[in-house]
Amino acid sequence: MSIAVAAPVAAGAAPLRRDIGPWALTLPLGAAYLAFFVAPLLMLLAVSFYADERMTTLGLRQWERFLGDPFHWKVVADTLLLGAKTVAATVLLGLPLALVWRTAPPFWQRMLLFIVVLPLLTSVVVRTFAWIVILGREGVVNALVLGLGLASEPLRLLQTELGLVIALTQIEMPLLMLPLLAVISRIDPNVIDASASLGASPWRTLFTVILPLSLPGISAGCLLVFASSTTAFISQSVIGGGRLVYLPALVWQQAMVVSDWPFAATAAVMLMVSVMAVIAVIALVGRVAAGRIGG
Amino acid sequence: MPRLSLGRRAALLSLGGLAAASIATPARARGSVTAAIYPGAWDEAFRTHVVPALKRAHNVDLAMEPLFAVDQVNKVQAARGAPPFDVFVLDPGPRITAIERGLCEPFDARQIPNRAQVPERMIDQWGIGVSVQVVGIAYNPRKLPVPKGWADLFREPFVSRLGITGFQTTFGTVSLIEIAKVFGGSETNVEPAFVELKKVLPRIAAVGAPAAMPGLFQQGQCDVMYTNTQNVATLKERGVDIAFAIPETGAPAFLTTMHLVKGTREAANAYRYIDTVVSAGVQEALSKPPFNFIPVNQAVPLGADMPMRSLDEMANFVSHDWSKINPLRSDWIQRFNREMAR
Repeated sequence: MSIAVAAPVAAGAAPLRRDIGPWALTLPLGAAYLAFFVAPLLMLLAVSFYADERMTTLGLRQWERFLGDPFHWKVVADTLLLGAKTVAATVLLGLPLALVWRTAPPFWQRMLLFIVVLPLLTSVVVRTFAWIVILGREGVVNALVLGLGLASEPLRLLQTELGLVIALTQIEMPLLMLPLLAVISRIDPNVIDASASLGASPWRTLFTVILPLSLPGISAGCLLVFASSTTAFISQSVIGGGRLVYLPALVWQQAMVVSDWPFAATAAVMLMVSVMAVIAVIALVGRVAAGRIGG
Repeated sequence: MPRLSLGRRAALLSLGGLAAASIATPARARGSVTAAIYPGAWDEAFRTHVVPALKRAHNVDLAMEPLFAVDQVNKVQAARGAPPFDVFVLDPGPRITAIERGLCEPFDARQIPNRAQVPERMIDQWGIGVSVQVVGIAYNPRKLPVPKGWADLFREPFVSRLGITGFQTTFGTVSLIEIAKVFGGSETNVEPAFVELKKVLPRIAAVGAPAAMPGLFQQGQCDVMYTNTQNVATLKERGVDIAFAIPETGAPAFLTTMHLVKGTREAANAYRYIDTVVSAGVQEALSKPPFNFIPVNQAVPLGADMPMRSLDEMANFVSHDWSKINPLRSDWIQRFNREMAR
């Protein structure tokens, strides 16, 4: 992934088992990951290959059921599209804010950072219900729209994809902003000054200098926003309502309401695979861009 | 000096012992019990009345896990012998499923001293009735006229303010069955309900998860929905404009029962909990506004604003044969979610 952590290597100190030392330190976490992440994941995969709900015979029936039904493909497409729309909205709103942040005095930088991180400090349930109050038929937005005479009927925002994207944009914004600000703060101001002194307009500097240099941050942020919004089960079901079906809701419904574990496992694996495929593309774009800048 | 220090140690020890004893014996709770509870009105009502009553009567702490009946059964089954809670609260359909799947401990009614005040037909070898639920139409009387029956929900002015939910709850299932019946269907044929819903779907105000419905009604997102009398009472208490209408074809009524979960380690406290729930004191408190639970304890009179005057009137309400509905239900649940999807 593009978020690389530079590991400080102690050059002088060379204990006997230098090669093993750092690896041994990761053993507890590694073991925990094996036991509580990798093993359950393999079990999930195995469960998806049971042919019947009671899990007695093996077979590909669940996969045929999932892949052979256009409804499920539509759910996959809607889920990925929701992620794409949220990513687009967060980038469109977040990027200008990041540019303002770059040139702001230190006090305002701290204030902006605090405001950006604020959504992370409230619980997801509270955030989601706050959006119901804001987007509802008798909510804040509609009171304003009707009060200003902009519409004669209340706008339908709750239980629509537009409303869901609006809410997710606010909820996921910190995940874009934190990596983006980290990268953008490291851009050497001299490069920008050089661009200006060589006669580039501010727009040209933005598109040929600042944006390419911040691409690693943008791609890291997009990756987090995409993964988080496609799997945001609570926001999707509460703000989206019953008419918008996304993969997390399908998994939950099959596992907990219908009690069909093999099919739920199939849907869960599909969610993971499709989201990971898109994330791989985003990461690749970020890496290619970073590579081009690096030389 | 050694003697003094010994004395001091002894004094400390005995003081500590006294303190420990005073903490250990009378004040310590006898333990705890975890009970599943329906989200919403039941959760609030039990928090208000049952938690303190159980603490007072038996010194037992009550923890509650809000889950609808179908979710409870699936969660216990998923836990495979390590039950996440000790007591079920179930409607007739999931009750049959739980018993069939072997998820209930046999119920020993002799452990419930208050059973004498509960009608005998509400007690069996698997559990005991704790309340009667009545399902009908809830509407906002300031925005809508009184709906006469299920068919009204599909006409203006109701349909564009209608909020619906699927088959995953008992109130949703019986309402959709009653809707199907009005349009020519039956207990086992809900096709007409799907056909009618499909026709009006673009105009419907909200399609929500069952737990989301009270919130959607409170926020004015929908102004008419099907639900049970307890949810109506709870919303009314919060100042929401809401009234309950009994459909002209009759309101479904069913018994809600409690059961011990297979493999519970807190059987004794579970019985104490259930006994507290059916006790006259708690049943009376629950039957008062804002909760308006229909009591099963015969020492408690049914209030004036209850949908029935006595438990014998249950025969006049609509009842359903869940042994026929259960095998069809999971297909209905999936079909609803698929056909209502945009």
